[in-house]
Amino acid sequence: MAITIQIPPPMREQTGGKAEVVVTGATVQAALEDLIRQYPGTATKLLENGKIRPYINVFVNDEDIRYLDDMDTKLTDGVVVALIPAVAGG
Amino acid sequence: MIDTNPLERYSRQMRFPALGKAGQEKLLASRVTLCGCGALGTVLANILVRAGVGFLRVIDRDFVEPSNLQRQVLFDESDVTNNLPKAEAAAIKLRQINSTVTIEPIVADINRTNIEDFCHGADVILDGSDNFEIRYLINDVAIKHNIPWVYGGAVGSQGMTMTIIPGQTPCLRCVFEAAPAPGETGTCETAGVLAPAVQIVASYQATEAIKLLSGNAAAINRELVILDVWENTHRRVKIAPLAGRKGACPCCAQRNFEWLDGEHGTQTTALCGRNAVQVSHRVKGKLDFAYLASVLKNSGTVTYNKFLLKFHLIENGSPYEFTVFEDGRAIIKGTDEPEKARTLYAKYVGH
Repeated sequence: MAITIQIPPPMREQTGGKAEVVVTGATVQAALEDLIRQYPGTATKLLENGKIRPYINVFVNDEDIRYLDDMDTKLTDGVVVALIPAVAGG
Repeated sequence: MIDTNPLERYSRQMRFPALGKAGQEKLLASRVTLCGCGALGTVLANILVRAGVGFLRVIDRDFVEPSNLQRQVLFDESDVTNNLPKAEAAAIKLRQINSTVTIEPIVADINRTNIEDFCHGADVILDGSDNFEIRYLINDVAIKHNIPWVYGGAVGSQGMTMTIIPGQTPCLRCVFEAAPAPGETGTCETAGVLAPAVQIVASYQATEAIKLLSGNAAAINRELVILDVWENTHRRVKIAPLAGRKGACPCCAQRNFEWLDGEHGTQTTALCGRNAVQVSHRVKGKLDFAYLASVLKNSGTVTYNKFLLKFHLIENGSPYEFTVFEDGRAIIKGTDEPEKARTLYAKYVGH
């Protein structure tokens, strides 16, 4: 089952410059674990004490996982998971 | 300008059906507080003053610098030469653009002690800032006093914006629970910024303000808009179901105004006789020195060990030395002005 994870610009140094990474996993949790397995450097950018950092939002097909089933949100083949951190500058 | 019909200058936007004469008259009677007058803020002020808001208060702590001119549309070389504060330089331009708008420039560092005064009486608060400390302060004030506000942010080629109407939409803390710790996200100084990215975001923000101020709140954007002008992407993600996050949002659901109450944020202490200021930023967790060093090496020289990070920088001919500690605290040598130190901290260490 192929899931595409969209990587935000501040995290691309950890994915070798890739803006999208293909992973497998039946849930958001499993998909992110596969991302970290493929690119271990993303772990500290993404997680704080094992949880997603509070300024990074995770969207599955443009829906925020906090009103779906959070990390247990089920993923199906071809789904796009976007990691979206708050943008600070201006 | 001899203006026999004072509404003539607004004729093109009044012909836009949703605005009309009634909408224009509401705009003319409206009051706006603009927090920050840099890349976002100059575009916001330019559009709103041309559109004919009644009153615009512009607050900014900085002076115009050469590196601003690439994207901050109200400033020019003479403002740099004359060493003008951004708020004052903007006011001069804005009065030339539309003398019928009352412009109130304020040269000040926005913080929890003054922001409620700055926003008092505003119909809309606009985010022209470059850091999350001010944005969470705006969010607290807006929810506490029931004033709509519009968030915008941009870095690199990317930007995002959302509109907050207290009691109707999610607030900033419903969507982004906490501010990034210092050094965790890029700033315009460390990651760079393209003018079109920030100007498009500000243009969206200004449109939202015009809707809110002209009696067209029903037309506002209720999603989080995210765009990237380099990667040719534009998306709107749904955030409406996050409103109040089922009673758990500390700000809009529980009405704990933690930023306004000083539980988060930055405090500065001038270190007497040392030409240095200590900037204390309250964060949970520790800074990642390796990451911060990788970001700062593009702007100056960086060294670090287990305990502290040293960063030497020359800005406009003046040398500064940052000593940053794991808890987010920094001692900035080269200035004894708290405002300057906060500006440097926000630019390079960021929020």
